[in-house]
Amino acid sequence: MSAFLEVRDLTVTFRVGSALKARLRGEPPPDLTAVDGISFTAERGESIGIVGESGCGKSTLAKAITGLVPVASGSLHLDGNPLTARRDPATMRRIQMVFQDPSSSLNPSLTIERMLSELLNVHRIVPRDAIADRCGELMELVELPRSLLKSRPGRLSGGQRQRVGIARALALEPEVLIADEAVAALDVSVQAPVLNLLNSLREDLGLTLMFISHDLAVVRYVSDRVIVMYLGRAVEDRSTAELFDDPRHPYTRALMAAAPKFGVKKAPGESALKGEPPSALKLPSGCRFRPRCPIAEEICEQTEPDLAGPSPIQRAACHFAWDGHEVRS
Amino acid sequence: MTKRLLEVEDLRITLQAGSGTITPVDGVNLALGRGEALGIAGESGSGKSLTLKSIIGLLPQGAQVEGNLRFALGDESPIPYTSTDVHGRGISIIFQEPMTALNPTMRVGDLIAEGPRIHEGLSKTAARERAVELMRQVGIPAPERRAKMWPHQLSGGLRQRVMIATALSTRPKLLLCDEPTTALDVSIQDQILGLLQEIRINLGMSIIFVSHDLAVLGELCDRLAIMYAGQIVETGPTDDVFTKPNHPYTEALMTSVPSFDATSVKLAGIEGHPPDPRSFPPGCRFSPRCRYAREDCTEADFELVATDADRSSACIHTEVFAEGGR
Repeated sequence: MSAFLEVRDLTVTFRVGSALKARLRGEPPPDLTAVDGISFTAERGESIGIVGESGCGKSTLAKAITGLVPVASGSLHLDGNPLTARRDPATMRRIQMVFQDPSSSLNPSLTIERMLSELLNVHRIVPRDAIADRCGELMELVELPRSLLKSRPGRLSGGQRQRVGIARALALEPEVLIADEAVAALDVSVQAPVLNLLNSLREDLGLTLMFISHDLAVVRYVSDRVIVMYLGRAVEDRSTAELFDDPRHPYTRALMAAAPKFGVKKAPGESALKGEPPSALKLPSGCRFRPRCPIAEEICEQTEPDLAGPSPIQRAACHFAWDGHEVRS
Repeated sequence: MTKRLLEVEDLRITLQAGSGTITPVDGVNLALGRGEALGIAGESGSGKSLTLKSIIGLLPQGAQVEGNLRFALGDESPIPYTSTDVHGRGISIIFQEPMTALNPTMRVGDLIAEGPRIHEGLSKTAARERAVELMRQVGIPAPERRAKMWPHQLSGGLRQRVMIATALSTRPKLLLCDEPTTALDVSIQDQILGLLQEIRINLGMSIIFVSHDLAVLGELCDRLAIMYAGQIVETGPTDDVFTKPNHPYTEALMTSVPSFDATSVKLAGIEGHPPDPRSFPPGCRFSPRCRYAREDCTEADFELVATDADRSSACIHTEVFAEGGR
């Protein structure tokens, strides 16, 4: 039996310079590998958090799954059917995305009603005469008053706009909802209601939710399972409870130590993680976290560790992650 | 309390907005001791950044400032000042966006050297040496080489370090921080907070740190001031405010972000959204969103009242809140 969403060896590359110049110099084409061989599976209704710092490829991964950027190699399957770069509208409909900045991802010149009815019309979700009703239902679903249907995004507050962004995604009745930093641009006091809304929508509609964020605390709040990414690779893939109790990858541990906590004073000059991530164009040999890793040894320089562990959702890409455990990849 | 460095009394900032005027900062009082770190917390539109910028005289054009600002340039007590008195001499500021706050047409070393050249009359070479020394102090690797680079060639974290070096170049007594870590990754934010703590202790500097993130403020600040809709609604020592908030807004802020340590308790959040400065609600401005609000809240005059030694709150029903709260 295959999983609901299956991502296998997914790689996404971007051309970053002149290919002609590189060829004249006899160098390989200047490609940046944003997502480098990521594999995971998700069950229907599961909530997966993807965590990492800027440039780790988490948004690119989301866009590749949604079909917004072309995949260089690897495969994607939804419900056993392959997802290719060119998708028909019926397939496109099944995976929808909520973007980070609702003020730039909504068309400012359309009223909310136009925006939603256009989607419903093009994808023929409901008969034409039921479109107005459905728009109202969608607004109720995201806990907005129907009266806002007549306004344009500019009139709404940030929290309301993000709810419209969610309504827009839900209009197509997706099975997978990908939220890319959906609350990062919101004020702290309005983040919580949006997170609660995502949680309840997932339960009520049985959505598979992929929640992408740089914030471990937010991810912990909405996800059953967390994938930690570093420089295009998944370095740890665990259930949320296990990950936060007992992180196995030194990068995950450092990220947790770096997160500000209530009532803990900062020691002068101290930091959990020294330096900055290397450029994805000049990756270090062996494990890519090695130059910043506090426990790196010789083997880390020579071989890149696989994402492996005792079970498919207990995996970490570190040579020392499962010392004393039986490991299969 | 230690000797005073800065006093802000009844600060009121008025801006032209469209056809009318708005008062995004409305009656703010602050006092800062030497070597103290004060955190101002608030959401967007609360007036926290404007308060900070008024201290160094960087308000947008057309802003009307009322109230008294006093700063101690020497060892005496704080005296009234104008922004030219403190520019490059007593107060420096660092901003949120290291991408836009650095002049893109100047090499990093020249940017840092500019302050000492203008304000201390250092020669070009001496100022350049000071720049490299400062870059080393703020933890920039290979400072000699990096001093010749342009801002766009540096990463976000390094740019923020350059901005800190620029701020330190004139040996300020007070460093104003306007959300300097908000645009950075967690691990870089952690490094910058460690650096600021180090600078503050080693140089005996005072800091006012503005952020929407209470946990970040807690890592650095001795005291907190919570701002809502242009007013300070609560002040107190950081630990006391965290363990027992004295204003419903503070409590709501604390329970609306998922805590890193706690497992999922349902987040409360706050109903509604922050008020528009064009139409602040009457009476207590938080009352329309407050879960403890009573009828008289909409009529109450704003007053920040001392609740304990060293603490104050603007809530007129602290007793109800304390019972209904925790």
